[in-house]
Formats: sequence, structure tokens, C-alpha cells
Amino acid sequence: MADYDRRRGGGGSGGGYNSRKRQRYRDDDGHDDDRRGGAQRRRYDTPPHVRIRKQLLTIAENPMRPWHEEVRSIADLFTSNWDDELLRGNFVDVILQLAVEQPLKAPFLAAVVLVANTNKPEIVDMLLPKLVANIESRIRDGEWRDVKLYLKLLACLQSCLEGEGVFPVLEELFARAGVLQTASSEDTIGTELVKIILLTLPYVMVAAPDQWQQKAADLMDKTEIIASEPHTLQALIEPYHAESPDDTSASSMSLIGLLQNQLQTEANNGWALPCLPRPWEFPPEDVEQQTKLSNPPKHTLPPISVPEAVVAGPRPLFPEVYFSVYRDQDVESVPPVTNAAASLIRDALLDTINVLDFNRNITARQLIEVDCFFAPRTFTTRATPFDRLRDIEPPKSTWKPEDIAVDAVFSQLFQLPNPEHKLIYYHSVLTEACKLAPAAIAPSLGRAIRYLYRNIHHLDLELSARFMDWFSHHLSNFGFTWKWTEWVDDVSLPDLHPCKAFIAGAIDKEIRLSFAQRIKNTLPEPYQALIGPEKEKDVPDFKFANDQTPFAAEGREIAGLLKRKAPDEEIQPVIERIHALAIDNNLDPLVTSTDVFVTAVLHVGSKSLSHVLAAIERTKDRLTDAGAASEAARQQILSSVMDYWSAHPGVAITIVEKLLNYSILVPSVVVNWTLAGFAGKTQGDALGKGYIYELVFNTVMKVTGRVRQLVNKKLAAIGTDDVTTDDETVEQEVKGMRSLFRDMEDALVAWAQLSKDEMMEIGDGTDRTEKERMVKRWGDRWLRVFRRRAAIEETFLIEKEREREKRVAAAAAAEGNNSGKVDADGDVVVVEAAVAPADAGIL
Amino acid sequence: MRGPRTTVERLDRPSAYYNSRNKRRRPDHQRDGDDDASNHAEPEDPLRDATTLYVGNLSFYTTEEQVYELFSKCGEIKRLVMGLDRFNKTPCGFCFVEYYTHQDALDCMKYIGGTKLDERIIRTDLDPGFEEGRQYGRGKSGGQVRDEYREDYDEGRGGLGRAIQSERLRDTERQDRDDGDYGRLR
Repeated sequence: MADYDRRRGGGGSGGGYNSRKRQRYRDDDGHDDDRRGGAQRRRYDTPPHVRIRKQLLTIAENPMRPWHEEVRSIADLFTSNWDDELLRGNFVDVILQLAVEQPLKAPFLAAVVLVANTNKPEIVDMLLPKLVANIESRIRDGEWRDVKLYLKLLACLQSCLEGEGVFPVLEELFARAGVLQTASSEDTIGTELVKIILLTLPYVMVAAPDQWQQKAADLMDKTEIIASEPHTLQALIEPYHAESPDDTSASSMSLIGLLQNQLQTEANNGWALPCLPRPWEFPPEDVEQQTKLSNPPKHTLPPISVPEAVVAGPRPLFPEVYFSVYRDQDVESVPPVTNAAASLIRDALLDTINVLDFNRNITARQLIEVDCFFAPRTFTTRATPFDRLRDIEPPKSTWKPEDIAVDAVFSQLFQLPNPEHKLIYYHSVLTEACKLAPAAIAPSLGRAIRYLYRNIHHLDLELSARFMDWFSHHLSNFGFTWKWTEWVDDVSLPDLHPCKAFIAGAIDKEIRLSFAQRIKNTLPEPYQALIGPEKEKDVPDFKFANDQTPFAAEGREIAGLLKRKAPDEEIQPVIERIHALAIDNNLDPLVTSTDVFVTAVLHVGSKSLSHVLAAIERTKDRLTDAGAASEAARQQILSSVMDYWSAHPGVAITIVEKLLNYSILVPSVVVNWTLAGFAGKTQGDALGKGYIYELVFNTVMKVTGRVRQLVNKKLAAIGTDDVTTDDETVEQEVKGMRSLFRDMEDALVAWAQLSKDEMMEIGDGTDRTEKERMVKRWGDRWLRVFRRRAAIEETFLIEKEREREKRVAAAAAAEGNNSGKVDADGDVVVVEAAVAPADAGIL
Repeated sequence: MRGPRTTVERLDRPSAYYNSRNKRRRPDHQRDGDDDASNHAEPEDPLRDATTLYVGNLSFYTTEEQVYELFSKCGEIKRLVMGLDRFNKTPCGFCFVEYYTHQDALDCMKYIGGTKLDERIIRTDLDPGFEEGRQYGRGKSGGQVRDEYREDYDEGRGGLGRAIQSERLRDTERQDRDDGDYGRLR
């Protein structure tokens, strides 16, 4: 354990804020530099190539050290050890690796190269061919982020490049974008290319000021056509879902459209770009170095070839919108969307976040230290309370570094259709940031939470579910403390009100991660009633324990038989007795016996999930038969599960997941039971319940994951002997998925338009109108989520079909050449193989 | 190692604990291999496709349901095995979580290891796979070894280390007896 804590930092019992530990963590991690402790701890025997690696790795992290000093000292260390071959090679490799692994540091690395260039121009000749080769290979693979990051490094080197430097590459990329966009309005690669061009341009302009205005203007004239045109897919990924057409606050701007306008403003201002760092600028007293840098040895950039057909790469591309949780404040704590700083800082932070997913501690640290990597005076002092921003005199900045950092993480958490990594990664980054700098981060998170809560009524339903999930998970890492008092008035709102639905859903999720009594203790009095006594019971009541319940004796008898693992032959007579009794009482015999049997199984397995899973495993034949008997019986299985575990829906959801794996339940049953059955029975109330949404969403994701897995597997099998996935299976699954989406569409349209008979029974007058309005709105929100999911899966299928055709053609060509071996491009397979449970097999 | 050394440490590597135990089993596998070490056939890495995680520092009171709730955020759980006291068959503060994919297990290392469950920082470690028998504590008194001699009072894990507890109990008993004897002699 001790080892572990030291390795990870912030560990041990409780706290984790303790600075001694963090210090120790840094030391052990090799991320310390001269800044800590002051004294030079470096031993004389550390070889230069190790020292230089270490210094490059931590470049710009020390806010007390002037950039030009640090840059020069590294460059000097490098040039004075020029004869060290190991050092020369390592230097180039480390710079290239850092450019894509720690994107905030690119300008500083470029500055080291530029200074070294004035002394040993050969360094640039060593760097450029490797850089160009990397750019070309990433373009080939469609690794667009890496392309962007390498181009950013290259852009920062513009001043030492011959001729037009980076511009020909940008123009070449634009040519591809133009072709793609003309060919299809749904193209997303072209959009991505334009984004890359626009994000590279500012770095060129600060690296070589006052030289490229005309070039930049020409390029931006071209990009405007693509950037200003709203993308056809944008409506799909819009995070807000307006309640009515005049709800204009709920619309976002396309990222490239915004960027185009911001850069236009910059162009009109002579490309001032005050936020970008210029570590290659030396103070006036250092005029000698500055002169050298102004007239550096120039180098020819080797031509970068861009293939005629560019590919989308391993990650699906979608247009992006600019999302901010600090957008409607009276004081600007983040850059306004009219300012290029908003896009440039956001872009560098997003790359940092998404690249460094393998170490959330470092991600969090770089986020907190964002002010180290941009020009001085871009931000206000760290941890300035929001209320104090008002007192800041212009032209001093009011931008809070922690707001900008937190905003970037939220933009990922709330990205549609999906961010790059699992949502929990972004949770963990916020947790770590909060642990590292609680005084700075916690208040920013608080304001973000309030913004989201305030806007929850027009947040896309999928995103409001993400909000609920993050909120409860975050609180579980910080003792479940939240200022619940400020929402006290909302407790009395109707359950269908989005705010009340959020409160109820969040509390349920908190309880799932903890237990009812604990959560109750964290809540003010008015909330207590939301946690009923049934939630505090370890095991739900067995309804057949009560003699008043019909079939109580039979229920107890079956439970007894199951408990002593009696053979099925002993259970059958009891089931038959239930059938007979049910017929006598005018009940559906199959439904009745299914309820008794399933409830008994759940009761026998009530002690823990292991127990219930074992009980299901033992009775799966009978359960499968019950489900096969009739649609009503199938729905009854689900109904019994949800009913038995109604106080702990999390358990019910897990059980249903396993029943789906066993094919005891099928996805359409989940959809029909929730959207027709349960929602009908509750007159629409079910649509506002977080766990009902979760149940359906998980089920749909299971189906789509399965389809994706099969399609990818089939794709990978082209040109190989693998025949395990036949066309029929895939077609069957795709058909099943489409019909599931159709069922949902039908059921949800009915709710959104309220053509449901059930609503007739609601009271009358204003209450009724209000309830109708709310139910319709929930139907509409659900509909939007699942229409989007359906559209995304169709897009996926189309793309894969195109790829399949390509590969079949390639395989045929290879066959013709009799070369035998086909390049099946394993990459795609590796990346996507992880979608669905591989041996869950059946759904 | 997969790929070149990253510029920051990766959190999805097996722990020092795992590596040290493994090294002992394979004394021929030198840490500071010389340059031609790469020519030796790399021994098959038992964690290469690992889908299981060892999860430690749980409270004795943490339930399976709580583990499911948190760990499902990294992917569907295939199997969960709670660690039990060898004698009492009660939870003793660890478990094995098995996912369907290796990637989910790696993500769990990166995103869940070192965060809190039931208000305790938990640790995760990649594991070559659960085998029958491993669900039991290997400590002398039935729980985990670390709970034998732990000197800090941990409410979630039965207070002080069990060996210390029983030692103190013996001491008190002896003292009681001594006191008693002393009393009688007077």
C-alpha cells in the first residue's frame, strides 16, 4: 500500500490535499526540477542527454523562471554538448514526442530549437525530415490531432523556414477540404481540415510577425466558405434542446464558424493575439540574442505530400460546437466567444486532456497551471474568488485560469455524440484537479453546477443524464458535501419538473455509491422525505410473506424449494397449481406464474448480486421458457424485477443487464415495457425518472455495441480465412437494431404528441394542462436522444459499408496479383474490437 | 512495455507490488538488462490481455452493489469476486473485478484506481486472472495480511491490526490475572 501511495500521490487515508505527499509524489515521478528546494540536487554524473530530457519534459512549468532564460539554458546545454551523438538524437525525438504528448509546451520547444538554430543550424536540418515524415504518416492514418500538433510545432518554427514555410502545406490541406466539401455536404473530414488550418494559422502569425498578412488573408478567404456554412450534422450534436422556437438562449455556435470570425477580428487587428506565448522573444537588454533570432539561418522545409484521398481515421469525426458553462455571467471569467483566445486556449487544453488520458494527475496539474503556458497577463491570479473579479480595473484580465480549465473539461463531458474517452475519465480529471487545488477549483465547479442546474430544462436529455452521473460521482469523492439548501424550494416541485427530476435522480445515484442513511445525513430536512424507509432496508420485503398477497402460499413454497435447490420437477406442480388458480380468478396464468416464480428467485438471491446471479443461473431454463411463452410473460419478468428492486433501481438495472446477456430478456421487451407499459401506467411519470432512462439507454447501447462489434469483425475478416461472422448474423443484428429504433420512435412520438389514452385519466383544469405539457416535453427529449443514436448508427453502417467495398476491391486486386498477402489494415480492428462484451454472445 | 517511453508516467501499468512478486518468481529476468537483452525471447507477459483487476483498500462494509455501481462506469462487469475472510466468510476488504475487454481493465486502472469508493481511496492492480482460492485472505487470522499488524486504527477495516488486537487482549488478560493474583496475595 505504501508503495502504491507514493507512486500515485494523493493516496492514503482521507485527505489527499496534504502538500507533503504531493511534494513526495513529484520527486518520485521525476517531474521535479530546480524550482523545488532551490538547491541543485543534480549529481555531477548525470549524463547530458538525461539532463536535457528532464529539462525539456518540465519546460515552462516553473512560473518563477523567465521563459527566455529557461529556453536559452536548454539550448546552450544542447549546443555545448553537440558532439554527444546520443544527446543529438534524443533531443529531436523528445521534442517530437512532447509536441504530441504535452501540447501546451509546443511553443517553448520551438523556442529552444530556434535559439539552438542560431548556434548550430544543423539541428533544424535534423528535426525537419523527421517532423515531415511524422506529419505524412499521421495524415495517411487520419490521426488528425497529431497532424494538428505537429503543424503547430512547425508553425512556431516559421521564422527559420525558407520561402513560404508552412503555407504550402496548409494550402494543400485546404485543397483536399474543398474537394471533400464540394462532393458531400455531410463530409466531416473537410471540416476537420479547415479546423486544423485555422488553428495553425495564429501560431504562424506570432512566430513570424508582420510578414504573412496577405498569405493569411488569402487562406482565410478560402476557408470562409466552408467555415461559415452550418454543417448538416450540427443539429444532431447541439447540446441544447430548445423548449420552443423562441428559446434562442439554447443554441451553440459551430466551432469553426466561431474560429473563422475570431481570426477575422485578429486579422483586422494586425494579428495581435495577445494570449499566445512568444518564448522566442528576448528582453531589450539581450539585444544580441534577439538580433540573431531575427536573422536566423534559414532552412528549406522538405515537401509534405498529402494523398489525394484522405481518410477519417480511427475516431469518427463530427462537427463540433463551442460549449461553455460560464457563458452568461455579468463579469467575464472566461474569454468571450468573440475573442480568439477562447478557441486557442480551449484547443490546447482539449488536446492536453485527451492526449494525457493515461495520467489524469498530470492532466489535472497542467490544467491548474494553464497560466504558465500562455502569455503573462492573459489571466488573473490563480484562485481569485469570482466576486473579486468585479474589482479588477481594466485593462487587467478578469479571466480565471481555473474557470477556463474546468470549462474545457465540461466541454468534453458534454460533447455529443461522445467525447474521445469514457465519461469517467473526465470525472476523474475534475476529481484530481479538485484534490490538487481545492480552494481554486471547488468554487469554479460550484458555479458550473449551478449553471447546468439552471439550464437543465433545455439541456439535451443525454447530457442531463451525464450531468447527474458526474455530479453524484464527484460528490462521492468529496464526502457528499453540496449546498443542497439553495435548491430547497425545488423539492416541492412536481416530480416531472426537470429540476426535481435531477434532484431525485442524483440522490438515487449517491445512494447507490454509498447507502441511504449516509446520504440522508448529508441532506437538509426538506429532502429527507425523498428517501423513504424502504431505501434503508438491506433486503426488500418479499410480498408473498404477507398472506394478503394473492398466491402468497405458492410464492413462499417456491422460494423454499429454490432455497434448498430442489430439482425442477418439484417446482413444476406448484406452477401448475398457480395456473389453475389464476384461471379460476380470471388472470393470465402465464403472467401470474411468472411473477410468482421471478419474485421468488429474486427473493432467494436478495442478499447480494452474486446471490441473485447464482439463483438466475440455476433457474435460467425455466426463466427462458417463461419468457418464450408470451409477450405478456416476457414483460412480466422485467416488471417483477423492477418491482422487487424498486427501492434500489441500480440493482434492478444490473439484473436486467444480466438477463439480457442470458437472452431471458430481449431488448424490445425493455423498450416496450418502459415506454408503453410502465410509462403508461404512471401516466408519463416514468419518463422523468433517471433510472428508467438509464435502463433504456444502456439496453440500446448494448444493441448498438453488438452491431458495431460484428460489423468491425466482419470487416477485419475480409481477405483472411476468418469466416466466423457470416453475413446473415450481421444482417440479423442490424435488422434487430433498426426495428428497436423504430419501436422507440413510435412509442416516443406518441408521448411527444400525447396521443396516449392514458392521459385522459389525469385530473382536469390547469393541473392537467401543466402535466400534459411536461409529459410531452419529456417525450420530446427522449425522442431527440434516440433519434440521434439511430442516426449515428446509420452513419456508422454507411461508413463501414464504404470501407468494406474498398477492402473487397483491394483484396480482389491482391488476389489478381497473386501476391497472397493483403494489407488488411489491422488498426481499425484493434481500436474498435473493444466495443461490446465479446462473450456475452447473445443479447 | 508497449510503445516508446512516454513523457509522463502511465497509470495503466502493473504496480510495483506485482512486479516485485513476479521478479522473485523469475530470477533470470534482470531489471537492468544490457543491450542484448532485447535479443532474448521476451517471456510471455501474463498481463498482456488481462481483463481482471485486483481491487484493494475497500471497507469491510462495502457491498457488491457499490462496486458494480462504480466499476461499471468503465465497462460491463463480467464477474465480481469479493474477498472473504478465510474463516468467517465475511468481506475482508478486497475484490476481483473482471471485465469483458482488456481495454476496460486498463481504463479502470487509469480512471478508477486511486479514487474513492464508499469514501475510501481504493487501489487497483492488473491481475492475470482469478483462480479459486484467491478470494480468501492469506493473513494468519483469516483476513488480509496487511490487517494483521496494522498500527493505525481503521474503522472500515476492523480497527487495529488483528494480531495487535489479540496481543493487547492477551496483555490485558494477563494484567487482569496479575492484578487478581496480586490482590489475592495481599
